[in-house]
Amino acid sequence: MTVQWIAGLVAVMSCAAVVHAQVIDSAPARSPVVRSVALDARLATDHGLTIGDTVRISAAPGDSLAERAVVTALLARRADPSEIARQEYRARLHLDQLQRLISYGDRVDRFAVQSRGDRERTTLLDAINASAFGFRAWPSAEIAVRTSRTFQVVRRFNSAIGVITIVASAAFLLCILLLKIDERRRDVAALRMMGISANTIVKSVVIEAGIIALLGSMAGVAFGLIVARLVNWHFQGVYRTTLAFTLVTPQTVLFACLLSVLLGVVAGWVAARRLVGQPALTLLGR
Amino acid sequence: MPVRLALLALFRHPARTLLALLGIAVSAALLLDMVMLASGMRENFKGFLMLRGYQLRVAPKGTLPFDSDATIDSATALVAAISKLQGVIAVSPVLGAQVQTTAAGDSNVTAFTLGVIPDVQGDYEMIRGRDLTDSSSVVANERWLEATGHKLGDTVTLAIGYDPQLRTTVGARRFVVQGVARFYYIAATQPTLGMLLPTMQAMGGGARRDRVSLVMVKAADGVDAEVVRERIAAVSARISAISLEGATEAVEQRLGYFKQLALVLGSISLAVGVLLVTTLITISVNERAGEIAVLRAIGVAKGSIVWQVVMEGIVLTSVGAISGIGIGLITAQWLERILSDFPGLPTTFHFFVFQPRDAGIALAMLAAAGMLAGIYPAWRAASLPIAGTLRREAVA
Repeated sequence: MTVQWIAGLVAVMSCAAVVHAQVIDSAPARSPVVRSVALDARLATDHGLTIGDTVRISAAPGDSLAERAVVTALLARRADPSEIARQEYRARLHLDQLQRLISYGDRVDRFAVQSRGDRERTTLLDAINASAFGFRAWPSAEIAVRTSRTFQVVRRFNSAIGVITIVASAAFLLCILLLKIDERRRDVAALRMMGISANTIVKSVVIEAGIIALLGSMAGVAFGLIVARLVNWHFQGVYRTTLAFTLVTPQTVLFACLLSVLLGVVAGWVAARRLVGQPALTLLGR
Repeated sequence: MPVRLALLALFRHPARTLLALLGIAVSAALLLDMVMLASGMRENFKGFLMLRGYQLRVAPKGTLPFDSDATIDSATALVAAISKLQGVIAVSPVLGAQVQTTAAGDSNVTAFTLGVIPDVQGDYEMIRGRDLTDSSSVVANERWLEATGHKLGDTVTLAIGYDPQLRTTVGARRFVVQGVARFYYIAATQPTLGMLLPTMQAMGGGARRDRVSLVMVKAADGVDAEVVRERIAAVSARISAISLEGATEAVEQRLGYFKQLALVLGSISLAVGVLLVTTLITISVNERAGEIAVLRAIGVAKGSIVWQVVMEGIVLTSVGAISGIGIGLITAQWLERILSDFPGLPTTFHFFVFQPRDAGIALAMLAAAGMLAGIYPAWRAASLPIAGTLRREAVA
């Protein structure tokens, strides 16, 4: 007999509590009165549980109110950002069993109510709230907004980091392109001496800078895709989730390429204007 | 001499140097922010937990303090047992629950309420008024006063729950708001109250009789807190004894995203800085190939040339990094303001904490990166063939 005390957060329909599970038997349960329990797949992996095992569940280790339950399902953790960093195990019990185990009486933490449509939802909410005492009904959408504040903050934080990164990248890109074009001073001098107009030289340099920026950003997109895969692979392993931590979307690619080309063109134009503004002999170092 | 030559080389193209400095400064700012985020969060959390000197927390088995509604039963016996342990000098039991308040207007306000023992409590500090004295006194935070419209000295009715079937409140009692307090571990936006622990247990009826949510334990100076933690853990199988390190690790796991992000972005900043400086100096060396060949031809040693080029990288990186510290502190404040909007975050908790050590680490990393960045162009400069380079320059 394996004896392991496992603490986990058990959520049953709308009632949640911390309970403890003790593995008592690896053989399938025969008694029909033993209730079923769905356990966190991580808990099953970590403690060698399989479907059909019988566990003893109680509010505290050694509690006299402990009941036996058969593992009938394993729960995969949802790809929910709010849950991934939480280490505790989750399980699903029958509501009445959990109420009994934790001496919760005839109480629940919340109800979920399904309405027929949008119009009826408002009427239903008003009716519930008019008769409610000690509780309140909320539309699911409003709860989603209220509970998503954490992600809104994370999104704002990521956007701020993005702005700083873009400023650094822009300075880097401008500097590199200026250097690249500055290296062409002798070619530009030769073209000027051959009688090519300043305007044509500026245009050609700007096109060249734009092409370099575009090719660079395409390479950057490929690199970004590889990094995104590595990041997802790493974090999905760390947090044991299917949640995608980084996403390379068409909008992201388009934004990066456009910004890069724009910066390239600006850098090319600035550098080319500087070059054509100097006498050809000066450019040749004479 | 090499330093002077390095500076002259950098001043030769001021626009280029300024742009490179801007790039390095922003990279340095990001690196500093990420170092502050990675290390500051841990240090800050430790300081945050140690505000009143309690090194250990005792919570229901398998949970972190106030992570769930779970409570510890037979609290009196548990507190007595912990108090008797060798090395324990103070024990502070706490019960937390939602308490309903009838506001001055019509609406009800739900306040998170802590039941404490005033002499040993480590959860709040008084701002004004008096601390808890008897079973009819409460202390409130500013947010509660604002939400309910009550003021110091008011008498209020508080209840610990509702009975929907009987349509009555549960455990309703009258209290006098005796003081205003700042609760260390609770968000300033959360209406919060404090009352005597026995009063709160009594209000909760059978469900909260002799129960606590958390016990804070202070170990004597010079006593290893980990040893005391092990002793506490052995007292009961129903509890988890959590040390400062354990709590910090648990929180770091929860906020691991930020630490990992800091690591990734810090590394990228450093890599971008190295790449920028390497490119800049390599091109600068290529442009000055003739000069370098002349220096070598007149007898300047290879080592001196290498030192000059490496110095160019170090100067560029150091100046950029020093400017970056200012930018980093400004951006850290900006990012801190964003993260302070996290729901439920206590005002005493900060993500970005400036420590001179962090600035030192960021500067040292960048200086090392600058040196690293200068190595390749320095090697190229030192290995230029003198005669060949001079001939090429003369022809050009």
